[in-house]
Amino acid sequence: MQDDLFARSGRQPGSGSVRRGPAGWAPGREGPASYPVSAVNAMAKDLLEAGLPMMWVHGEVTGWTRHAKGHCYFTLRDERSQLRAAMFRLEAQRLPADPEEGMKVRALGRVTLYEKRGDFQFVVSALEATQEGGLWRLRFDRLRAKLEAEGLLAPERKRPLPRFPGVVGVVTSPVGAAFQDVLRVIRTRAPWTRVVLSPARVQGDGAALDIARAIHTLARSGLADVVIVGRGGGSVEDLWAFNEEVVARAIAASPVPVISAVGHEVDVTIADLVADLRAATPSSAAERAVPDGATLARELDRSRHRVQTALRRTLATRSTALAGATAELRAAGAAIVYSRRERLVTIANRLDALSPLGALARGFAVPLDADHRILRDVSAFRAGAAFRLRVRDGSVGCRVTDTERAAPSDSP
Amino acid sequence: MTRDAPLSLEQRIARIEAIVTRLESDRLELEEALSLFEEAIVHVRDAERVLRQTEVRIDRLIAEADGSVTMEPVRDPES
Repeated sequence: MQDDLFARSGRQPGSGSVRRGPAGWAPGREGPASYPVSAVNAMAKDLLEAGLPMMWVHGEVTGWTRHAKGHCYFTLRDERSQLRAAMFRLEAQRLPADPEEGMKVRALGRVTLYEKRGDFQFVVSALEATQEGGLWRLRFDRLRAKLEAEGLLAPERKRPLPRFPGVVGVVTSPVGAAFQDVLRVIRTRAPWTRVVLSPARVQGDGAALDIARAIHTLARSGLADVVIVGRGGGSVEDLWAFNEEVVARAIAASPVPVISAVGHEVDVTIADLVADLRAATPSSAAERAVPDGATLARELDRSRHRVQTALRRTLATRSTALAGATAELRAAGAAIVYSRRERLVTIANRLDALSPLGALARGFAVPLDADHRILRDVSAFRAGAAFRLRVRDGSVGCRVTDTERAAPSDSP
Repeated sequence: MTRDAPLSLEQRIARIEAIVTRLESDRLELEEALSLFEEAIVHVRDAERVLRQTEVRIDRLIAEADGSVTMEPVRDPES
């Protein structure tokens, strides 16, 4: 019987094989058989591991502690019993969050015995919360609360997007559909916009760090006027990088507004909450980022008409004033000495010369300098200087060859 | 109007909008009205020229080991 037991255990403390000898403990020599503690624990451990399969266990978590090395210890319990449990570093580091006290969970593991202490325990390889959203939800809520406390989610932190960005920065996978979607929209709506891609892996191990680095790289380049950060839809695990703190902080630190575009409407991520604007998809992010060229062209045309109308009105007002002055001048003609009338006529002519639609049509021209200022005096023309002559249907480049000041009596 | 760096589309449109507002609301001297008008027309024409561009320029950033950022052009497969 004992031999059978040892044979089955296959392992002994200190050596790989069963030790038999006269050293006082071998069974069947003198009196009843006796075993050292370590042998008993080893036998019990082997029995437990061989007798109980790997299984799911559900219950409530209590006394969760995470040790410095990363191993986690806790107790699973129900109304009647408790089960000591351990989750080692390799498995524990895959947990989205440590469960809370009293949280209902289910754990996959094996029952075993910790030989050194003789503790009966359940070694867990996977653990999930049975309530809505599970541990992912818990992790999300914790980070959200933390960022909220720092004010990073405050509405007043949201920056307005530039209306006409010259450069759109895009942080996403260079091979994913998201980048192609963004390009397609920009090509259609605003092809004059430059696109700067800061590539990042958007899922899998290290994705969050990669995305955060790509956002920082874009910030360092100083090129973008607005940034789109995102990827196409996916499972909670696929999108998880966008729920990581490093990504949230990189977005918050961006010197220019950030539009998040992660998956579909139902999946709100931490990145969405920190971003200046949340778009449901990469395509809609691009639509928000750039103006529509066709609309803009119509607006420009409208502006052209408005300045033309406004100028015509100004000219009409001035022409009326001019006509009035001329009439007054004629009525008063008899009472005014000739030289004085001559001067007023000169003023009237000068005013007329300023009215481009009327005067230009009649063959007058207005000289303008490079800043579109009217050159009204001889002193404004320097020999050799270039200027433009505004005529009825356009303008002509000219150069001053010489100047001559008229007799002083002609000056107003 | 500045003759330094070319204005961005955003700056041009902002300037056009400012001129429209001034021309429509203020009683300006003829000289100033004319000058503003001409400036607006120049900006409208330049903005329209920008809008006629058809090819999207794409660059890809590369973070170098020394912390600097360089970039390389990406060919747009669709254009």
